[in-house]
Amino acid sequence: MKQRVLAGLLLVLLVTLGPGTGARGAVEPVKNPDTFVTLRFGDPESLDPAYAYDTASQEVIWPAVYETLIAYSGSMTSRYVPELASQVPSLANGLISKDGLTYTFPIRSGVKFHDGSTMTPEDVRYSMLRFMLQDRDGGPSWLLLTPLLGKDSTRDSKGKFQVTYQDAAKAVTVDGNNVVFHLNHPYGAFLSIMAAWSLVMPKAWAAAHGDWDGSAGTWQKYNNPKLQDRYAFDHMNGTGPFKLQQWDRQAKQVILVRNDAYWRSPAKLARVVIRTVPEFATRRLQLQRGDADFIEVNRTEQSQVQGMAGVEIRDDLPTLVLQALHFNFKIDATGNPDVGSGKLDGNGIPPDFFSDLHVRKGFAYAFDYATFIRDGYRGKAVQPNGPIIQGLLGYDPTLPKYTFDRAKATTEFKEAWGGKLWDTGFKFTLTYNTGNTVRQVGAQIMKDSIEALNPKFKVDIRNLQWSSFLQATNQHKGTLYALGWAVDYPDPDDFAQPFLASTGDYPKRNSFKDPNADRLVQEGAVTADPAKRAAIYRQLTKIAYDQVPSLYVAQPSAFVVMRSWVRGWYYNAVLSPGSLDYYALYKQ
Amino acid sequence: MTTFIARRLALLPFVAVGVTVLIFSLLQFLTPAMRASLYIHDPKQLNALPDIIRKYDLDRPVYIQYWGWLRQVLHGDLGWSETAREPVADAIRGYFPATLELGMYSFACILALGIWLGTAAAVNKDRALDHLSRFTSISGASLPTFVWALLLLMVFYGHFGWFPPGRLSLDADLYVRGGQFHAYTGLMTIDALLNGQWWIFWDAVRHLVLPVATLTYYLTAVLVRITRSSMLETLRTDYVRTAEAKGLSHHVVIDKHARRNAMIPVITLGSLLFVGLLSGVVITETVFNLPGIGRWGVGASQQLDIPAVTGFALVFAGLLVLANLCADVLYAVVDPRIRLR
Repeated sequence: MKQRVLAGLLLVLLVTLGPGTGARGAVEPVKNPDTFVTLRFGDPESLDPAYAYDTASQEVIWPAVYETLIAYSGSMTSRYVPELASQVPSLANGLISKDGLTYTFPIRSGVKFHDGSTMTPEDVRYSMLRFMLQDRDGGPSWLLLTPLLGKDSTRDSKGKFQVTYQDAAKAVTVDGNNVVFHLNHPYGAFLSIMAAWSLVMPKAWAAAHGDWDGSAGTWQKYNNPKLQDRYAFDHMNGTGPFKLQQWDRQAKQVILVRNDAYWRSPAKLARVVIRTVPEFATRRLQLQRGDADFIEVNRTEQSQVQGMAGVEIRDDLPTLVLQALHFNFKIDATGNPDVGSGKLDGNGIPPDFFSDLHVRKGFAYAFDYATFIRDGYRGKAVQPNGPIIQGLLGYDPTLPKYTFDRAKATTEFKEAWGGKLWDTGFKFTLTYNTGNTVRQVGAQIMKDSIEALNPKFKVDIRNLQWSSFLQATNQHKGTLYALGWAVDYPDPDDFAQPFLASTGDYPKRNSFKDPNADRLVQEGAVTADPAKRAAIYRQLTKIAYDQVPSLYVAQPSAFVVMRSWVRGWYYNAVLSPGSLDYYALYKQ
Repeated sequence: MTTFIARRLALLPFVAVGVTVLIFSLLQFLTPAMRASLYIHDPKQLNALPDIIRKYDLDRPVYIQYWGWLRQVLHGDLGWSETAREPVADAIRGYFPATLELGMYSFACILALGIWLGTAAAVNKDRALDHLSRFTSISGASLPTFVWALLLLMVFYGHFGWFPPGRLSLDADLYVRGGQFHAYTGLMTIDALLNGQWWIFWDAVRHLVLPVATLTYYLTAVLVRITRSSMLETLRTDYVRTAEAKGLSHHVVIDKHARRNAMIPVITLGSLLFVGLLSGVVITETVFNLPGIGRWGVGASQQLDIPAVTGFALVFAGLLVLANLCADVLYAVVDPRIRLR
C-alpha cells in the first residue's frame, strides 16, 4: 500500500514538474523567440576594447556593444561599409591621400552612446589614443601603433617608453567633424584594421570612472594596466545595437539587451545571453531542446550533433586560423607546478629548458601532425609551414615544414643540453584551455610521442579555464602550451608580428627574440610592393622553421552549429566563427 | 543535555584554533611572496607585494605572522582570488549558495532513502527487498557519477525535456536578474518563496531534480549498507527480542526501539556526507552546469590560487567542526548513555 502511495506521489510530481514538454517528434515552435542563447566553453577575460584580445571577449565587445568607424560588408573581408563614419575613405572620394599616408573619416552625427551622451569626433580620437597608449603586454595596441607610429609597442625591450603623447596625438587629429589618421608609412591593410579595431567609447564616461582623461601628462600612468585596473574591464558604454545588462563572472554568463536608441533601426532580438558551459554533452542537450540557439562544438564532437532534428551545421568554412604549440623560452618558475622540480634532474625542467634549439627541434620532429589532423579535425585541416598560412600574401607551399620523424627527434634530443638531456630525462606539464577537445587531442599526441621516445621523458597534461589560461601564459607561466591565433585583419602582418616579432603576442609571452625576425616584420609592415612583401614573409617563414619558436600544427576549416530557426547568420572569416553579428540575427 | 552541548561548544574554539594552526603551518612551505597574496583584497595591490610582505611581517617569526593572519581572517578577509578575480570571501559567498542548495536537498533525500531502504533491507533480510537494496547500493556505488548524471540528463532533459540543467530556465533567470527579485539567501528555492514567486520556486525545483537524483543514487548506497548492517546487529540484541516478546507491534519495535539504536554509525556517516556535499560535488556541478563552490575550488587549486584554496580549506574545516558537533549532539539524543559518560 505504502509503495503504491509513493508511486502515485512520484507520478503526480513528474506530471506537475514537466507539463507538456515531452512531445518529441512534434514540430517545435521557436523557443524564446526574442532571446538568442549562445553556449561556449570559454569565458571572457575582459570587456575593455583596448585590453581584450581573445575570441571569447571579442564576441561580447564587437560588433554587438562597441562599434567601429567602418565595418566589413557582410561576408566580404575586402569591402567595407560606413558605420560610425559616414563614408568609407578611398582614393576616389579623396578621403585617402594620394601618398596613402592620410585617412579621413567623416564622423556620423547623432549617434548616441548607451549612457545617452552623443558621440563626437573627440570621443573617436580619444578612443584611438587610448587604444594605442594603454598598450598592455600581449594586448591589441600594436594593431594601431604599427601603421600610425611605426612601432609596435609603446615600450622598448627594456620597458622604457619609446613613444610620446605628442607622437600619438599627431597621428590622430580632429578636423571639424572629421577624424584624420596620419600614417607613419603607407599601409594597404589600414582599412581592414579600422573595420575591426577602431572601437569607440565616450571620453567623459571613461574619465569620470577613473580612466585616462586624455591629457598629455598622465597617459604613462595608465599604460600597461593589470587586468582589472580599468572601469571598462567589466562595464561597457558603446554605441552598438546591444547594451551590457550584466556580466556574472560567477555564473559565467553575459546578458546583452537591445539598445532601443540605436542609430540604425533597433535589433530584432531583444536580448542575447552568452553563457559558458564547459561540458559538451550539456551544451549539446540544450541545443537539442532548443534552450540554446548556437553552441560551440569542437571538430572531435561534430559527429554528435550531426543529424539532430532542428539543428543546422554549416561546414567547410575557410578560416584564417592557426593552431600552434608554443615554447616558452623563459618560464616563470615561481610557484609554477608545471615545471616540476624546476631543474634538469629528470623530475622537472629548468626555466630556460626550451631555449635550447635541439629541444625545440626534438619536439617538432616528435609530433605526429597527420594523426593530429585526422583525429583532431577529422581531416579538415592542413599543416602550415609557418605562421604565414594559406590565403595570406607570402604563403609558399614549397617551403619546408617539420614531419613526424622519430629518428630525427631522437637525434635532436641526444644533442640537447650538451648531450645530457637524453640521460637525465625531463618532466613538465603541457597546458591547454578547458573544453577544447581538439587541443586535448594534440596534447595527448605530443605526450604519447615524447614518452615513447625515451622512458625518462615525461609530459603531463592539464587544462585551465580560458581566462585563467590566458593570464597564466601572459605571466610567463606556460611551458609548452596549445593556443591558436584567429585573424584580426586579413594581412600577413597580422600573423608575422604576433608570432615572430619580439614585441608580438607570443614572443612576449614566451620571451622569444630574433633580431632578423624583428627587422623583417618591420620591413613587411612598411613595404607597399606586394612582391617585395611576399618575399619578406617567405623569409620569415624560413626563420620560423629554423628557430622553431612554435609548432604550427594546423590550419583548420571551420563549422558552426545552430538551431535551424536562426536567421540572418552569415560567415565572415574575420568575425566568425569566434563571434556572431547579433544585430543581423533573429529567430523564425 | 544542555551541559553536554555546552561542554562540546566549549571545545569548539580549541578545535578551531587547531585547524587554523594546521592550515597556517602548511602555508609556511610557500614563499613570502605567495603568502603575501593572502593579504591582497584589491587587484591594484598585486603591484605592491614587497610592501605587503613588510606590512604583514611575512619575513618575521611564525607566531607574529600567525597572529596577523588570524586577525585578518577574523575580520572576514581571506585574501584575493586570482581565479575568481574577486576577494575570496566574496567568491565563497557567491559560489556557496548553489552548492548549499544542492547539498541540502540531496542530503535530505539521501538520509530519508538510505535509512528507509537500509532498515527495510535488514528487516526483510535475504528477501526480495534486501536483494533490491543490495543491487541499488552496488550499482549506485559502482556507476561513475558522470555516467549516471549524463544518463539522467539525456533521458529526462534530452528526451522528455522535464528537468533542464543550470539553476533556472531562461525566463526565470532573466526575472531574477531583472531587479525585482531580492536574493535573501542565494538559495533559489528559498528566495523564490520569500519573494512570493511560486513559478520561480517550481522552476528551481525542476532544475534541482536531476543533480539531487544523481547524488542521491550515488551516495545513498553507502548509507544503505551501513544502516542495514547496524540494524541487523541491533535486531539481534536481547532488548529487541524482549520488546517483541512483550507483544509490542513489529512496527513499534523497529521504529522506536531498534532503529533509534542503530543510528550511531549512520549519524557519523551522515555528518561526513553532509560536509562532503557542501565542499562541492565537482562532477555533478560540471555536468549540470551549476556555478557551485566545487567547480571553483578545483579551478583554483589547478591554478595554485593559494588564497582561494586556503579560504576554501578554512571554511570547510569550520563546517567539519560544526558537523562533528551536530553529530555529537545527535549521538546524545539517540543514546542518552553518551551524555552520562
